Amino acid sequence: MKLVVKNLKKNFEKKEVLKDINFEFEKGKIYGLLGRNGAGKTTFFNCLNEDLEIDAGEFYIEDNEKKRKMEAEDIGYVLSTPNVPEFLTAREFLKFFIDINKKRIKDLKTIDEYFDFMKIEQEDRDRLLKDYSHGMKNKMQMLVNIISNPNILLLDEPLTSFDVVVAEEMKQMLREIKKKHIIIFSTHIMELALDLCDEIVILNRGILEEVDKNNLDNEHFKDKIIEALKEQ
Amino acid sequence: MIESFITSFRLKNTYRVNSIIYSIKQFPIIKRILPNSLYKNKGLKIFANIISILIEILSIFVGKLIYIASMIFAVLSFYETNQTDTFLHIFLFLTLCGGVLNTYMLNPTKDKYYAIVIMNMDARKYGLSNYYYQLLKLVIGFLPFTILFGMITKTPLWIQLALPFFVVAIKLIVMNYSLYDFNKNQKAKNENLPTKFVWSFVAICLLAAYGLPAINITINQTIFLCIFVFTLILGIYSLLKIHNFKDYRKMYKQVLTITNVYAVENNSGTQAMKNTSLKQIELDKNYTSNKSGFAYFHELFVKRHRKILTKAVKKQSIIILAIFIAVVIGINVNVDFKEKTNDILMQYLPYFVFIMYAINRSSSVTQAMFMNCDHSMLTYRIYRTPKVILGLFKERLKTLIIINLLPSTLIGLGLAILLYLSGGTENPLNYMVLFVSIIAMSIFFSVHYLVMYYLLQPYNVNTEMRSSTYKVVQAITYFVCYYMIQIQLPTLSFGITVIAFCIAYSLISLIIAYKYAPKTFKLRV
Repeated sequence: MKLVVKNLKKNFEKKEVLKDINFEFEKGKIYGLLGRNGAGKTTFFNCLNEDLEIDAGEFYIEDNEKKRKMEAEDIGYVLSTPNVPEFLTAREFLKFFIDINKKRIKDLKTIDEYFDFMKIEQEDRDRLLKDYSHGMKNKMQMLVNIISNPNILLLDEPLTSFDVVVAEEMKQMLREIKKKHIIIFSTHIMELALDLCDEIVILNRGILEEVDKNNLDNEHFKDKIIEALKEQ
Repeated sequence: MIESFITSFRLKNTYRVNSIIYSIKQFPIIKRILPNSLYKNKGLKIFANIISILIEILSIFVGKLIYIASMIFAVLSFYETNQTDTFLHIFLFLTLCGGVLNTYMLNPTKDKYYAIVIMNMDARKYGLSNYYYQLLKLVIGFLPFTILFGMITKTPLWIQLALPFFVVAIKLIVMNYSLYDFNKNQKAKNENLPTKFVWSFVAICLLAAYGLPAINITINQTIFLCIFVFTLILGIYSLLKIHNFKDYRKMYKQVLTITNVYAVENNSGTQAMKNTSLKQIELDKNYTSNKSGFAYFHELFVKRHRKILTKAVKKQSIIILAIFIAVVIGINVNVDFKEKTNDILMQYLPYFVFIMYAINRSSSVTQAMFMNCDHSMLTYRIYRTPKVILGLFKERLKTLIIINLLPSTLIGLGLAILLYLSGGTENPLNYMVLFVSIIAMSIFFSVHYLVMYYLLQPYNVNTEMRSSTYKVVQAITYFVCYYMIQIQLPTLSFGITVIAFCIAYSLISLIIAYKYAPKTFKLRV
């Protein structure tokens, strides 16, 4: 399965934020999306998530050479600021999410098993989400997106609010689930991108480019990425 | 200090100009034509500057005119006391209220926050120069109207001229006390959260202002003269104290916190509103639901928001019952009242459009739906599938209609019963029309707000309202309902028209919502 983006354009008034995006994202890989401040990473995600209308181009899923439209169920978007319904407890939120995704979840586990998987403590499971900390809310957001099992996961700076231990767990978890997903991961932290991602993609001047690692060691690869980011 | 004032004035003017341009850009059609580079357009800047200066000038006079005309002059005729003395009396006590409620200096406004906290301006120079400017505006703003209304009420010229300075002196005295208090306790009070002491003082002053003249007690010119001389001396002393006070920075650090500032300036949208919405969630986890999917989700939402949902309508219902009982008693004791009631019920049904508008809970409920629920849920793509959106829409519509129907049914039944008790009508159809039209209006408002919410979803991810169309629709709704107050029409014909309109509107808007909501119901970016 592939996510194909072709000639995608997005302008804000006269400013061309995304000029001409052409890319194929493949299943089984984590893509590290790097870009300078204001380069349009979030805009790109918002376009894929259909929060924004695109001005030109298209994106679709290619499954066994067959082209099909991207559906709501195909995509999960984890924002850098956590978004959870504050009037529910963590358990109720999961129950609701499982309810509406029942048909598509293949090996349905119990709610507590999911909590265990995400390492959410017993005593927190029945608390209202409004009393959760920033990082805990982020965990929940990540968890429901993983449970609903979308083909494509867009992660916008998802690890920055986690403490080091949780961040490490999350990385491990992403590596575990990547086989079945296309994961696009935007970040400003180069080490994280190099450590976690299989491919590094750069968004610069409205264009998306892959940076080839070839046989470079990490240091040289880093330099190459920074050079690419600096290009005006 | 003058330099400091000019800088701060220019700063204030700059963002006032920008917000004028911003509001111009909010109009639906203009928005599309005007580019973002608007903010550097010279001609437009000049235009906005002129508006800004006009606003500044108007702010000097208009408030004072309205204040004296409505709070003092308009009530004079109710009293049998001497007009001059009553005018003076009310003015004096209201000035005391205003003095403690608004010091200018301690009001945590955004311009102070920008200048002192963000731009790091000298707090003393900034605070004092702007304070003096405000006091100057007070004198200039009050003078024409103390003279005008003073002449109408035959108040002597010296009092006409003294009144503005009296106001300023009171402000100075209160401000000096605040500084003294701060020096002693090292705690600055946010004047927008008055203490119980302040509220009691205000209550006593209000009572004195409007109550005493009713029992023929007012101050006279001699008493005013004494008070005036006394406050003037104290005021000058206070001015010196205020001018020489050193710790403005420390005081402003306490007053100008983000929560204080945003609580005043931006209670429409953003964090403050979000926080109030969060407070409406009730912690009781004992409310559970046996349903599943979005029905489960929605039921929990309803149960956890009882404060703004069921509790609010229960309160309304109790009030409606109380009014109903009061009217029933009135009908039985007073024949005049009985006839008038009958007349109102047969002629003033349009008035009830406004009442039904005012008691309908849908607007605040949809707002809570967004703040506490959809704001976060809409970021999940799966939540935006047509199945979920329409499923939830149905549940919500049911809830909204039912909630609003409780008080509405009481009103409908109440009106029909009152019509009967107040002498009845020749055409029995009137009873039914009264009842059904009230119910129809209630359903109409429920449908209207929910459909608008789903079609225009006006908020963005930062919970700011971003749809001018939504605001326009809200305003139109208000004005139409308000306009109805002035209309008198026979209940029968008006009622039937209303019923037909409500049914037609609800059906059409529901069809539109079903068709378009899956596309339109998303976060604004």
